[in-house]
Amino acid sequence: MPISTTPIRRTLMRMIFLSSGAVLAVTTTGFCAYEFLTFRQSSVQQLQILSQAIASNSTAALAFDNADDATVILAAFKADPHIAAAALYDSQGKVFATYPRGQPETHFPVRPGASGYTFGPTELVGFQPVAEGSRRLGTLFVESDLGAMYARVRLYALIVLLVIGISLPLAYLISRRLQHRLLQPILALAETTRAVSERHDYTVRAVRTGAYEFDLFTDTFNQMLTQIQQSEGKLHAQLERLSLLQHITRATGERQDLPSIFQVVLDSLEQNLPVDFGCFLLHDAAAQSLTVSVLGVAGRGFAEAVALTEQVNVPLDANGLSRCVAGHLVYEPDVLLVPFPFPQRLAAAGLRSMVIAPLIVENQVFGVLVCGRRKDQAFSSGECEFLKQLSEHVALAGHQAQLNGALQQAYDDLRQSQHTVLQQERLRALGQMASGIAHDINNAISPVSLYTESLLEREPNLSDRARGYLTTIQRAIEDVARTVARMREFYREREAQLTLERVDLNRAVRQVVELTKPRWSDLPQQRGVMVDLTTELTDGVPDIMGAEHEIRDALTNLIFNAVDAMPSGGMLTVHTRKSVEVDGEDRVLIDVSDTGVGMDEDTRRRCLEPFFTTKGERGTGLGLAMVYGMIQRHSAELEIASATGKGTTVRLSFPAYTASAVSTTQPSKLSAVCRRLRILLVDDDPMLIKSLQDTLQEDGHQITATHGGQAGIDAFATAQKRGDGFDIVVTDLGMPHVDGRKVASMIKMLSSTTPVILLTGWGQRLMAANDIVPHVDKLLSKPPRLHELRAALLELAS
Amino acid sequence: MCRGASGAEVPTEYQVKAVFVFNFSRFLEWSPQAFTAPNAPFVIGILGDDPFGARMEEAVRGEQIDQHPMVVRRFRNMGEIDNCQILYIDRSERAQLQQILLAMDHRSTLTVSELDQSSERGVMVQFTTENNRIRLRINVESARAAGLTISSKLLRSAEIVSTRTGN
Repeated sequence: MPISTTPIRRTLMRMIFLSSGAVLAVTTTGFCAYEFLTFRQSSVQQLQILSQAIASNSTAALAFDNADDATVILAAFKADPHIAAAALYDSQGKVFATYPRGQPETHFPVRPGASGYTFGPTELVGFQPVAEGSRRLGTLFVESDLGAMYARVRLYALIVLLVIGISLPLAYLISRRLQHRLLQPILALAETTRAVSERHDYTVRAVRTGAYEFDLFTDTFNQMLTQIQQSEGKLHAQLERLSLLQHITRATGERQDLPSIFQVVLDSLEQNLPVDFGCFLLHDAAAQSLTVSVLGVAGRGFAEAVALTEQVNVPLDANGLSRCVAGHLVYEPDVLLVPFPFPQRLAAAGLRSMVIAPLIVENQVFGVLVCGRRKDQAFSSGECEFLKQLSEHVALAGHQAQLNGALQQAYDDLRQSQHTVLQQERLRALGQMASGIAHDINNAISPVSLYTESLLEREPNLSDRARGYLTTIQRAIEDVARTVARMREFYREREAQLTLERVDLNRAVRQVVELTKPRWSDLPQQRGVMVDLTTELTDGVPDIMGAEHEIRDALTNLIFNAVDAMPSGGMLTVHTRKSVEVDGEDRVLIDVSDTGVGMDEDTRRRCLEPFFTTKGERGTGLGLAMVYGMIQRHSAELEIASATGKGTTVRLSFPAYTASAVSTTQPSKLSAVCRRLRILLVDDDPMLIKSLQDTLQEDGHQITATHGGQAGIDAFATAQKRGDGFDIVVTDLGMPHVDGRKVASMIKMLSSTTPVILLTGWGQRLMAANDIVPHVDKLLSKPPRLHELRAALLELAS
Repeated sequence: MCRGASGAEVPTEYQVKAVFVFNFSRFLEWSPQAFTAPNAPFVIGILGDDPFGARMEEAVRGEQIDQHPMVVRRFRNMGEIDNCQILYIDRSERAQLQQILLAMDHRSTLTVSELDQSSERGVMVQFTTENNRIRLRINVESARAAGLTISSKLLRSAEIVSTRTGN
């Protein structure tokens, strides 16, 4: 037998041996004691009988004092070998005769004792009265040596040993047989227990042996095994669900968006729980309805059978859904018995049992998880609990995803605003630099502008060629001034005040094509590349309202981009046409198309961003940004159609000019010459002073030029003291130490009625910002135009 | 038999013989006809000179056999003897022994004497002295003839004698 059975066997054997041994011991002891006492009694009786007989016989011997006869009579004791000694005493108590013959008298008691028999340590002693009739003749003393009794005791001991010697092996044999019957069921149970404990196999059962109460024991044991088996099954299922929960939780943790989380949960449920149908519905508290968000893949068939597809609305009625939306887990063991639309819908799809678990975040049910099975009563309480826990996890994961989305959004917004701030900072820096450059350039070209205008006006004898050149110079100076002014425009959010004029787009196109010819024709040809530029200018396109120079710049940029996009040459087309929109508004379109490399989607999306360039070091990243700025300032639209390798078409769409559009002031050719004025000219640029002085003097004004702000103030104060004050003061804004503002305020302090004209290289910006400087009556930008200056003088002098 | 160590007075010969005479009453059976009445006294008679003196009275004092109180009588001659269960014949009656025995024949009287050879002549019990000890010689025939039954125990310790004529 594989298990050691020694202990129980040994114990049982010991029990049997001890009990049978005890019984034997008590029995034999009782027997021996009884025999011993009986034997003692009978010994006494025998001795008494013998003694009485001898005593009776010895009466005559005593009566007639015949000691010899008495001795002979006592010799009869020889018949009993255990009689050790005997003596007759006479009536006086003296020893009369003794037995055996020759025994010394000292062996006997000196005087006879009282009648009776007493046991000594090794002998039985008796005194028997000797009487004839009523007459006492003497006393007989008898001593037996108890040898018979010891012989008897020895015999008994032998018998006891014999009995024990036979009965114990017999008991052993019997107990062996009994033990086998007793132990067999116990050992069978032990074997079963071992199987259970070693293999964890709770399906084994102990076999009934039909013996005594062991069957009851076995049945109880088997019942216990069944319970353990059930418990283990439950535990196993619980563990599996726990593992599934962990699996799902991990899977959802890896996902960031709600539909993806829902999908992975449903897939897991359908495969592993499993369920026949699963879907998530999102709760719209305002609309009191649920919207199917995601359906499980396997259960899609059920859902489609009853038109339960994604984005389908399920109204909330007084059914399980509303209870679930109130935050309770709902289990319908048999949907057939539930007379509400949603369960009936599932029933129609072939499902019988369903569980609806709420997705709760911050005490709000934002959705529900619906699980269904074909069979009724198909969800155990453990599974319901699992789905409840799962829905809590999913709700948390969903919430997390939403939070994550919000965080991502916030992060993107932050990055966007950071980007914007950075860009604005760059633009601001650029703008400051541009302002400085603009100031210097404006100062530098002011004499050119003034002299050119003066020449064209005052030299009627100029040749046509000279006049043409001067006109071109004048226009170029104008363009330079505007370009310089626009350098700062990148960072301007909105052009607050744009000087709009009627623009003939066809003419602008022609001008630009002419101006850019070196770029699209000459440079490519030097590289051996041919760019074929065609213009399709529809006659009679309406004028538009706009800033022509901005439009020209925009077109220039577009043509440059088109040429750059065709490093191997190609077709460049500029097309203008009129378009009538659906709302009846006329629009003028300009398409600039090339057959170049085109843009991918990412580039197309980002190409309008400032400083975004595909041209590497050669590009500034400002071209299309400027175009876009222009488009916005003109309320126009920009469309870009492009594909990689297919070329690019940029369409500009302007609203056509209508009569209602406000026309700006046309520059008056030759203003009325005002009266002769005493003008104080304050500037720190000798070239500008010289040119202004020259041109204004030609108009007949008396000019006092001072170098620097302080000198101007001093000159004005000196003249006023003389009573020979200036009629008007023209001062530069940007001067070292004392600038134009200071000069203006001082002049107004000295003479509040004296007009002050402020010239500024930043003039356009100040004007645009409506930034009226205190104490300044008129603000003119550099380079100063003669006609503007004249108009201002005329206005202020009158 | 000397047991001087006991300190007791050694009994005299006739003291012992008186006790012996009395003892005979224990070891013999008399027929009821031996008594005149159920409560008639058991008589121990002494014929001739009295060697016992008061010793015989001492021996029987207070004793009785069945209903019969024991008395001691002394007879001077044969004619005085009427009712007697034990008759001690003193030495002094040597000459008349034959007559005495004849007179006592067929009477239920135990005859006791210490005369030599008296038992062979018909005395039932004769005292002899042997090694300074008193011994009994008993003539069973005589006793039987007198209708007396002698206990076998008495016979054991005595010498059995038969009647011999011619002496």
